Amino acid sequence: MHEMGIASSVIEAVRVEVTRHPGARASKVGLRLGEWAGVDVESLRFCLEVLVKGTELEPLALEIDFRPQGSELDIAYLELED
Amino acid sequence: MERVAIERKVLSENDRIAQALREQFARCGTLVLNCISSPGSGKTSLLERTLQGFSPETRVAVVTGDIQTDNDARRLARFGFPVRQITTAGACHLDARMVEKSLDGWDLGRLDLLLIENVGNLVCPTSYDLGEESKIVILSVTEGDDKPLKYPGAFAKSRLMVLNKIDLLPYVPFDMEAARRNARSIHPDIEIIETSCTAGNGLDSWRQWIAERMRLAAGSPSHA
Repeated sequence: MHEMGIASSVIEAVRVEVTRHPGARASKVGLRLGEWAGVDVESLRFCLEVLVKGTELEPLALEIDFRPQGSELDIAYLELED
Repeated sequence: MERVAIERKVLSENDRIAQALREQFARCGTLVLNCISSPGSGKTSLLERTLQGFSPETRVAVVTGDIQTDNDARRLARFGFPVRQITTAGACHLDARMVEKSLDGWDLGRLDLLLIENVGNLVCPTSYDLGEESKIVILSVTEGDDKPLKYPGAFAKSRLMVLNKIDLLPYVPFDMEAARRNARSIHPDIEIIETSCTAGNGLDSWRQWIAERMRLAAGSPSHA
């Protein structure tokens, strides 16, 4: 239910990072997501897709490093291309 | 292609506020408990019975979260202790900023116990640190005894599981042993108290549990 809020925070962090690299565009974001983080993976994917659609970030690939029995909810990395 | 490490918590802003709250609660010696459960497990009833058992001079306050209505705050205010309602207007959980705002004007130095009743939901509230000392998960026997397995996050992160509505055990196919076993398979050290808010079972154990945590919170080294 709160995946849209989580997705918005991810997109916000991506935008902040992109502004630090003039001329580059974000191609992929990597998240670390624990089983116990309270976040549904498919719902989060869907929300990120919706938020990116029609913006300068589209297309943005998503890689989720799922951690069984973990509580992580982290943005691990961003891939940029010129 | 260039990969830049970000290594940042998605909820870093929430965590920052929660940490500041936790430090403030510790300085003031205020025990803060974050009560989490599905809708209808008896969070408000448990808090009603808790407040009912306190003497009038007990320095306790309650913050209660709901998506809509201030019904719970009105129920809880009958006992004469300060109560504030957070109406989240759609959000399925409380976050640290909502709690911070709800405390406005309260002198934490004059509070020994702050009870937070989260929005009824076993998933989303587990993602948001509120600066609490302990999370408490409430499971009622009218739910499934496999809920700890279905919603492991809430049970993994809670210090205590309250098994509520045990007066209804004769009428429902709830296996208490299975519920305990399932909870411990997720969180081996979870403490468990069995209660009935209508019949009164277990409420003494629950109050003793709170009293013990309050003693620890008041005596913690960071308490100035």
